Amino acid sequence: MSVLEVNNLTKTFKQSPIIKGISFDVAEGEILGILGPNGAGKTTTLQMLLGILTPTSGSIKIFGQDIATHKSEILESVNFSSTYVDMPWRLSVKENLTWSSYLYQITDRKKRLKQVMELFRLEKIWNMPVASLSAGQKTRVNLARSMVNYPRLLLLDEPTASLDPEVASYMREFFAKQRATYNKSIILTSHNMAEVEELCDRVLILKDGLIFDIDTPANLAKKIEDCYLNLRITKNDSKLDELLRRRKLTSTVLDGVTRIEIKEKILPLFLYELTKLNIQYSEINIDKPNLEDYFMKVAKEKTV
Amino acid sequence: MKFHRLWGLFLRYYYNLLRSYDRLTDMFFWPVVDLLMWGLTSQYLVKTGALNNTIVLALLGGIILWIFPWRGQYEITVSLLEDLWNRNLVNLFTTPVKFIEWITTLMLIGILKAAVSFAFASAVAIALYQTNIYTLGIKLLPWAGILIIFGWVFGLLVSGIIMRYGTKIQTLAWTAIHLISPFVGVYYSISTLPSWAQTIATYVPASYVFEAMRSEIAGNPVPLNALLPPFLLCVAYLLIALYLLISSYNHILKRGLISVE
Repeated sequence: MSVLEVNNLTKTFKQSPIIKGISFDVAEGEILGILGPNGAGKTTTLQMLLGILTPTSGSIKIFGQDIATHKSEILESVNFSSTYVDMPWRLSVKENLTWSSYLYQITDRKKRLKQVMELFRLEKIWNMPVASLSAGQKTRVNLARSMVNYPRLLLLDEPTASLDPEVASYMREFFAKQRATYNKSIILTSHNMAEVEELCDRVLILKDGLIFDIDTPANLAKKIEDCYLNLRITKNDSKLDELLRRRKLTSTVLDGVTRIEIKEKILPLFLYELTKLNIQYSEINIDKPNLEDYFMKVAKEKTV
Repeated sequence: MKFHRLWGLFLRYYYNLLRSYDRLTDMFFWPVVDLLMWGLTSQYLVKTGALNNTIVLALLGGIILWIFPWRGQYEITVSLLEDLWNRNLVNLFTTPVKFIEWITTLMLIGILKAAVSFAFASAVAIALYQTNIYTLGIKLLPWAGILIIFGWVFGLLVSGIIMRYGTKIQTLAWTAIHLISPFVGVYYSISTLPSWAQTIATYVPASYVFEAMRSEIAGNPVPLNALLPPFLLCVAYLLIALYLLISSYNHILKRGLISVE
């Protein structure tokens, strides 16, 4: 069952199209990552999903209801966190979470506030004003605020930016657990590809306001044909140069290791040729393409 | 409109008030400064025989009643500015909060703060000058009602302008209501204004209240129903101001709420 259905969504600013008719959905319990180069339309899309930016055309249905006409009801079960949005900075963490909690229909308010305080490790900063917190602490408070209403759909904009690695890892585990335990759906944007690869079931790549691709991280990575073969050559390196020239392959040498860019499908044949030419090596390592490689390819294509 | 959301918003501004000495003190500071300045001046003029106690009561009554439109406007516009400075509008409107609930909360907070400032200023007037505004009786209530709605009208209009054009014109948040004050006749009778200004004053609901107060102090009671036309005018202005503010908000949504912050 889809919790979010986006149909032919467009947004035009001053006759300049920013989002050019995108359609996608998010299933219950699914984590969808939205990636794209700067200016691709990620933030614009998130804003439209939250009802703080009116689309030029198209529809957004969350839990089967249109955000344009049922925003308040929908947002009872949705929440949002962004590193780039602040809270009233004179208020303490406790005060910020308390007033925010009253914006939702929560029956066990006190219990819930205590829960999020513990979940996000806020005990030590509970009574401190937000203004005195570090960027990482503010991010944790923002994330805690986004969990106050037991959201069924969570929109996270750069959720782990400015967190230290240990806390970022804890947060990733937390969101994975939320999905696994409570079947929550999550949409996240991030520049941390490893995080997206680890958390997301599917990744939507936005490029120039269009969906360039949408698939699982593994399938997207597979769309890169090239991989890197790293060899520490011990004998017949001149023959290797000759072989590379013949096969029109590019390579670089760093610290005695030759790094060859090669299509994954001809790799077995290439390794056979090395043996046949008696080119010997003491180390071998293959870097398979990942989501970041795919993203870089998309980003480069944009700049051409 | 849901009560729990109004309460949540109220808490947000209440907590902020407790932690903002500037916001806390301005509830008391300006009314006292005005009372000291005008009160001492009028006492001096009484001693010289230029003024009598009736005029002093009218002057101080004007100062004290002016608190209502001033706070009504100030509370709406400065609270909007605080949310803009805190980059909190996105946080606010990505929750179930409706725009009208937010505005309603600011209006109600305006009433509360005006009531506190009024009570404090009237107590100061009694303590310093033995001038008791409460002698005007129950009529103070409808007068205060018209004046605070008048303040809301300005608050909503200025908020709409700030939402559209951003904080570069934020000075309006503190000053807007004072632009109309010459036509309100807080300290003087409208009849002293030039005729063109008197014409403008007829469209300013607050001017009727201050005229009624002076008339009452002079011993010429004004029937309550005489204030029905300015009250209806106020309500009409309020509806127009609300419409314009909601139009501004919808206009902002076309650009994105983030663009305001």
